[in-house]
Amino acid sequence: MKRAAELHQPATAAAACAHCGLDVPPNLVREGDSEQFCCNGCRQVYSLVREWGFDQYYQLIDQQHATIAPARVTGRHFDDFDDEALQAEATDRVGADRRRTRLYLEGVHCAACVWLVEKLPAVLPGVDEVRLNYGSAVADVTWQPGQTTLSAIARALDGLGYTPHVHRASRAQETRRVEDRAMLARFGVAAAGAMNLMFVSGALYAGEYSGMATTYATFFRWLSLVIAVPVLVFSARPFFQTAIAGLRARVVHIDLPIAVAITIAAAASAWNTVWGSGPIWFDSLAMLIAALLGARQLQRSAQRLALERADSLRGVAFLEFARRLDHARPLAPAIEVPLSVLVPGDRVEVRSGEFVPVDGVIVSGRSSLDNAVLTGESTPVSVAEGDAVNAGATNLGARLIVRVDTAGAATRVGALLALVQEAASRRPALLQTTDLMARRFVQILLAVAAATLVIAWSQRGPEVALTRVVALLVVSCPCALGLAVPLALSVGLMRAARAGIFVKNPDALERLRTVDTVLLDKTGTLTEGHATISRWHGDTLILELARALEAESSHAVARAFTTNAPRPLHLVRSVAGVVEVPGRGIAGQLDGHDVRAGNREFIEAAGAPIPTPWRDVAAAMIGDGLSPVFVSVDGAVSGIAGIGDVLRRDSVATVAALRRRGLRVRILSGDHPAIVARVAAQLGLPPDAALGGLTPEAKRDLVAELVSRAGRRGAVMMVGDGVNDAAALALADVGIAVDGGMGATIVAADIVLTREGVAPLLDVLDGARRLRAVIRRNIAFSLFYNAAASSLALAGLVGPLLAAVLMPVSSLTVVLSSALARTFVASQPGAGRARRPARKAA
Amino acid sequence: METIFVLLPLALLIAAIAVGFFIWAARTGQFDDLETPPVRMLFDDVEPGAVRPPAPSAVPTGVHE
Repeated sequence: MKRAAELHQPATAAAACAHCGLDVPPNLVREGDSEQFCCNGCRQVYSLVREWGFDQYYQLIDQQHATIAPARVTGRHFDDFDDEALQAEATDRVGADRRRTRLYLEGVHCAACVWLVEKLPAVLPGVDEVRLNYGSAVADVTWQPGQTTLSAIARALDGLGYTPHVHRASRAQETRRVEDRAMLARFGVAAAGAMNLMFVSGALYAGEYSGMATTYATFFRWLSLVIAVPVLVFSARPFFQTAIAGLRARVVHIDLPIAVAITIAAAASAWNTVWGSGPIWFDSLAMLIAALLGARQLQRSAQRLALERADSLRGVAFLEFARRLDHARPLAPAIEVPLSVLVPGDRVEVRSGEFVPVDGVIVSGRSSLDNAVLTGESTPVSVAEGDAVNAGATNLGARLIVRVDTAGAATRVGALLALVQEAASRRPALLQTTDLMARRFVQILLAVAAATLVIAWSQRGPEVALTRVVALLVVSCPCALGLAVPLALSVGLMRAARAGIFVKNPDALERLRTVDTVLLDKTGTLTEGHATISRWHGDTLILELARALEAESSHAVARAFTTNAPRPLHLVRSVAGVVEVPGRGIAGQLDGHDVRAGNREFIEAAGAPIPTPWRDVAAAMIGDGLSPVFVSVDGAVSGIAGIGDVLRRDSVATVAALRRRGLRVRILSGDHPAIVARVAAQLGLPPDAALGGLTPEAKRDLVAELVSRAGRRGAVMMVGDGVNDAAALALADVGIAVDGGMGATIVAADIVLTREGVAPLLDVLDGARRLRAVIRRNIAFSLFYNAAASSLALAGLVGPLLAAVLMPVSSLTVVLSSALARTFVASQPGAGRARRPARKAA
Repeated sequence: METIFVLLPLALLIAAIAVGFFIWAARTGQFDDLETPPVRMLFDDVEPGAVRPPAPSAVPTGVHE
């Protein structure tokens, strides 16, 4: 954007948009206005904010040094929000006459948004309170049905630039929230217990050296027991649960030795307390439990952001509503209804730029549809009356009226989404990221403990044997080992998020180690995903003329001229007499000149044949997979635009880098095989690496086959952005959704990128490699510590005090090792400002 | 010295009450959102400004293009 602005800098200084601060295109500058706007959305939001007296919003943005994006106002009526069935999923009743509804807001970008959204009750009668969760962008709105409607609230939010969606919480999300709360309570109890036990133990240790009356010692020991009970019974429960679940599944889990150590040490300490002799370990135990729970708490919270985002998008349906036309009154404006109330035969209106909400047949209108999301085809398809359309396609052209055949789950896109859910649920959910080394250690430790018990029992009697084993288990109790993985992970996940990499499933980081095949989607992943002018032959001024002319059309080719365009110069003062011939071109009088843009026949029909040099240029463009559009001024050909879906800037370098690492790179695309082959050639890939013409189901099957065939040798990584990739993403060993991906891919993927382009893939691979190194380093250190401490314990040299000192020291080393590691970094300079995860939910 | 037989259990009781409050707060979801409250409290320093009641026209009624 900025680069283009510099190229085409007009003589006068650019005005800044009063809402978002971006430069205002000169042709939108309104002479004499004190405030200028870069787009209509910003103008609407700004005037509403001013009208409601919320001017302070802009001061807050300045204070926070926040940058905000141009506002988007959909202008929807949100009638469907008043549907009781739709509301019920996200609404609780509060008291007799109030409701609390959860709305997911698109466009929440800074702290000032919290202020603005929560100020809503001041201007909307009937709205009692709005609480916005800044992290998940979900607002809790408390309102009175008698006084206002949810659609009115939704319109107000939309008017402020936050597109609302009814937030349907998934059951998994509810379960996790309850779990999170329970875990926090357990951690709190463990931490409080550990700290109080330390005071008591401090007194006991001091008493041992200075001589304490037995009465007091006994009292303090009993006190320790009392404090330790809630920690052992309540806080430590998850360790026992996972250990037992692991045993049932015949997996030795890292929680097993922890559970065994806790049980034995607690039992021995309780025994010693009751009989008044021997060491007690309550303080070490509580400390251990608190430290382990704390580390896991950190890991959970680091993961939460990525999961919450994915869940918000899961709650937002891909297609939410349809504009239904009234049979009886054909001229009445369309009413927005939820998809569930549509019946076959209904007529729905699809406006320009909107998704087609249903499978059906066009009954009126002609336009072009973009199926890229659904099938991966990069070329828009022209449609007219009588043509069938699928839900999920984007209407690029004029308004269409569609007769409904099916809506909701029965549509093709509905079936695809069901595939995604199915594939995602089939993936085994690991309890925790475990490492082979940790598992080995656990087995060895248990074996040594058993051997010690037997040998010491036979040689020195039961009392010594038990003391030794308890000491062994407590000292070598894998506290450092238990911390090694979650701590390194939580720090790694946070660094990844800062670099624009949201890891939903940490197990994927482990699987990245063995990746040997990378499958890339083409449209929208390797390429921009929509047609743009990728080459221009001719004078820049002529291109500006063509842009001004094409701005009059809503045809798919015209969009290529206007999207991603550097802002137009303020050259053209008048555009008149525009005539568009569908499928051929457009002509008009621009400042008195006859300008035409279109295909060869269209240009030749108006004047002389096209000269040979121009034809050669056009032929070269066709050879490169671009569609040429000729531009003539006053009858003479003056320029040719090559229209096509171009590669992203970083695609070539990234693919080359992936191949240098010895990875097999393949392209999976639903687009025409010839186009896919050409893209593969541009990327320097062999022709057999380009697979085109794949349906979403074929992609899924291909990935499934590769995953099962790859077997132990290597894992498969799939990268995509569209609904057509989602099922494949879910099935791959590692699924990655690129920036701008649809909600369904974000749900299906293990890792979500929020930095533009495919270059972050390399950061993911590098970061995961470094993270694994940190984990290995942590484990190696804790094993070393454990070996040393175990030897001491076996020799009978470790008492409770030494154990209490050794444990935190070893844990601290692991903490430092994790905290100081530089794992995930944003590789490209300037790309470091990661955006929050994609809010593109529609 | 015998006083600790009373004082320590009493201290523990108070600590237990505090822990009980913490569990209650965690269970009712008061620690669910740790990101918004630190942001929200910043706004109170600024004078909330005279929020005018909206002109009737101000409530958008859905702009049909």
